[in-house]
Amino acid sequence: MEDFTNSTGQSTGQSSGQPSKPLAGNTMGVAALITAIITFVLAVIPCVGLIAIIPGIIAIVLASIGLSQASRSDSPRGVLIAGLVIAIFATLISFSQIFVAGKIGDKFKNNWGGEIEKVINDVQEDVLNEIENANVSIKIQSNGDTVEINTNIKKGNRHEELEELEKANDVTNDTLEKNK
Amino acid sequence: MIPWRRINNTFSGISERFRQEPYLLINFILAGMILLIFAYSGYFSPEKDDYPVVCIHEQLTGEQCVSCGISHSFSLIIRGRISEAYEWNPYGLRVFIFFMAQLLMRILFSIFYIKHPETNSQLILYDVTVSAMLFIVCFMPFIESILKSFEGIL
Repeated sequence: MEDFTNSTGQSTGQSSGQPSKPLAGNTMGVAALITAIITFVLAVIPCVGLIAIIPGIIAIVLASIGLSQASRSDSPRGVLIAGLVIAIFATLISFSQIFVAGKIGDKFKNNWGGEIEKVINDVQEDVLNEIENANVSIKIQSNGDTVEINTNIKKGNRHEELEELEKANDVTNDTLEKNK
Repeated sequence: MIPWRRINNTFSGISERFRQEPYLLINFILAGMILLIFAYSGYFSPEKDDYPVVCIHEQLTGEQCVSCGISHSFSLIIRGRISEAYEWNPYGLRVFIFFMAQLLMRILFSIFYIKHPETNSQLILYDVTVSAMLFIVCFMPFIESILKSFEGIL
């Protein structure tokens, strides 16, 4: 009498006349193994490696449930153990991708911070320059009378005006002293 | 009625076989998954650039990873534009070959498994060994990149 049992320990059910082994957890095992294989392939690809954690956890859960079912009914556990081992390994690889991405992010954080600071300083300087060199115009209207004040507060002009004012003050002071 | 009953019997026979033989069921599902990958690559075109999957690694770190552009590469390989595919991602072709080889292996090994039941254990062992080696060879650049990033950090 032939017993067609494959390498994973599952009964093939081809033995004539012999009662087939109980297959509790068999479906769970197949589902876990397929999910684990897909997780493993995804985990190695950096673009989608982080997503692989989700199917990895699902595969571990499926394999664990299948193992508990199989242990209760003394069913073969080859596929379940294979699924569990591959799922754990794939999930570890996927977790390592999170670690790598996080560390690379930290490494570039300072550079990005520096860049942002530089941009903010440039913008601040530009705004200050624009304000300093602005022409201010104030227009007041009241009962048909209009008063308009135009001021040029350019930095260069301000310096000139200040010097002129200082000179004027000197002259005034001199005049006053002379008068005394 | 007789042909319908025959078809019904055939389907019930196949489903019973899949239930009894996990290897065949796994092969069948994996072949389906690979065909889905090819269908995805054929459906989305590099001209429209409407791929739903984006690189998470690039979004997190701001740096392009070693597998960036692999979807474009697959789409171009399916359309027969190999040189353009190589420009998008130099490792796209070897990963594509892996999936193509896996599809063929799933079909051939399943046929062999059904025709020669006495060699089932050996066949599964060969399948696992060849698949593992093929995986290592084809995905080596990605594995290396993961290991290198660890080297740079630790």
